[in-house]
Amino acid sequence: MTSTFKEDSLHRVKIGAKEVLVTEEEPLLPQLERSGLVLEYQCREGYCSSCALKLVWGKVYYPEEPMAWVQGGHVLSCCAYAKSDIEIASL
Amino acid sequence: MSYSTFNRKQFDSLQEPMFFGENVNVARYDQQKHPIFEKLIEKQLSFFWRPEEVDLSTDRKDYLKLEPHEQHIFLSNLKYQTLLDSVQGRSPNVALLPIVSLPELETWIETWSFSETIHSRSYTHIIRNIVNDPSKVFDDIVVNEEITKRADSVSRYYDELIEKVSLYNTLGLGKHHVPGKGEVDVTLRSLKRTLYLTIASVNVLEAIRFYVSFACSFAFAERTLMEGNAKIIKLIARDEALHLNGTQHMLNLMASGRDDPEMAEVAQECRDDVIRIFVEAAQQERDWASYLFKDGSMIGLNAQILSQYVEYITNIRMQAIGLEPQFATKNNPIPWINAWLVSDNVQVAPQEAEISSYLVGQIDNDLDEADFDDFDL
Ligand code: FES
Ligand SMILES: [Fe+2]
Ligand SMILES: [Fe+2]
Repeated sequence: MTSTFKEDSLHRVKIGAKEVLVTEEEPLLPQLERSGLVLEYQCREGYCSSCALKLVWGKVYYPEEPMAWVQGGHVLSCCAYAKSDIEIASL
Repeated sequence: MSYSTFNRKQFDSLQEPMFFGENVNVARYDQQKHPIFEKLIEKQLSFFWRPEEVDLSTDRKDYLKLEPHEQHIFLSNLKYQTLLDSVQGRSPNVALLPIVSLPELETWIETWSFSETIHSRSYTHIIRNIVNDPSKVFDDIVVNEEITKRADSVSRYYDELIEKVSLYNTLGLGKHHVPGKGEVDVTLRSLKRTLYLTIASVNVLEAIRFYVSFACSFAFAERTLMEGNAKIIKLIARDEALHLNGTQHMLNLMASGRDDPEMAEVAQECRDDVIRIFVEAAQQERDWASYLFKDGSMIGLNAQILSQYVEYITNIRMQAIGLEPQFATKNNPIPWINAWLVSDNVQVAPQEAEISSYLVGQIDNDLDEADFDDFDL
């Protein structure tokens, strides 16, 4: 995507038919929720694995390694931060 | 190979598999083969709570005001929860401690099981507070046909593992004549298979069956009824999220071969059996839902909605251990459950909260790249 965004601070998240802009300041889950999406969660701190989504493409990072096991191709939305534009899908 | 409470051999416990290696000797936590189990212990200890801290005086009044079919739903659900935690308060210890080989995992198992005894004690606290004669509730658990059917499916794999391991620990590997059973061939492979299936069925118990029961508990609280009960169930749910993390890790570590290469083969061989365990449990939970709501449903929850939740949560749990989802249900039919499941110490972003920054939030789907071009930061 060509834009004047600071590449490393603001990213587009494609999820289904929707697109949401997110910052790198907060994990994905609360930002996606504020856009009106209803997503699965329990602990919101990385140990229950219920907020897992499919990461179709793009980069995310975890400032701290989450306690839950993260399957290949999955992302834990409560503790993952977007690192690039990404596409995610529900499980 | 009989069990020793203090193995005198010298070995490097970092090289041992999770199960069926050396019996643990020194309980040391300065180093771990799998740090996750140390983290689970710490987290579980930080979660410590006591049922008596929750006041249930309004629950008693609420309970008396419930319709008879609602009392049936509430009590049956509580009986089922009592059964599940009776099993969980002992079985990880009885079944897994004789075969565990890592100190951090051994202590996780004990910590896990201990927390289940708190859950059991909280059911006594609840039942004492809402009915005059607790024995009527407790005594029914072993005779009520609907409940005993469930007891059978939750304890079967544990019991099989315990039986095989006791043969292994008394007689060792090989063919043994067991009175009443005939010839039993005890091999490490078959022990590992039974272990893998047991952990899968425990994951089903904690990550699916319990969540179905949580949905019923919280459905009352959604109507501002039985709120003390809901507070207790919230604390139990927080613990269960850790427990299911533990079994998911065991299953995923086994399947990865990173812990014990033979276990990866076992996991592969058992794949269809594990899928069957999940699908059968989902069916049992749906049958249970029909029993719960046989005399009538309640506002916000009925047999059909609960069955959809069973399918939804089963799909999620299967994918967490690398299995394909088996049901079509894609959406949570009771999204309100998550607000109850979340711990009180965690802030939840309100759904319709005002967006504080114009930069963050939903973008119209039909915006194209050019629309962003003058967006200057
Ligand atoms: S909500 Fe529990 S791991 Fe994300
Ligand atoms: Fe429990
Ligand atoms: Fe548990």
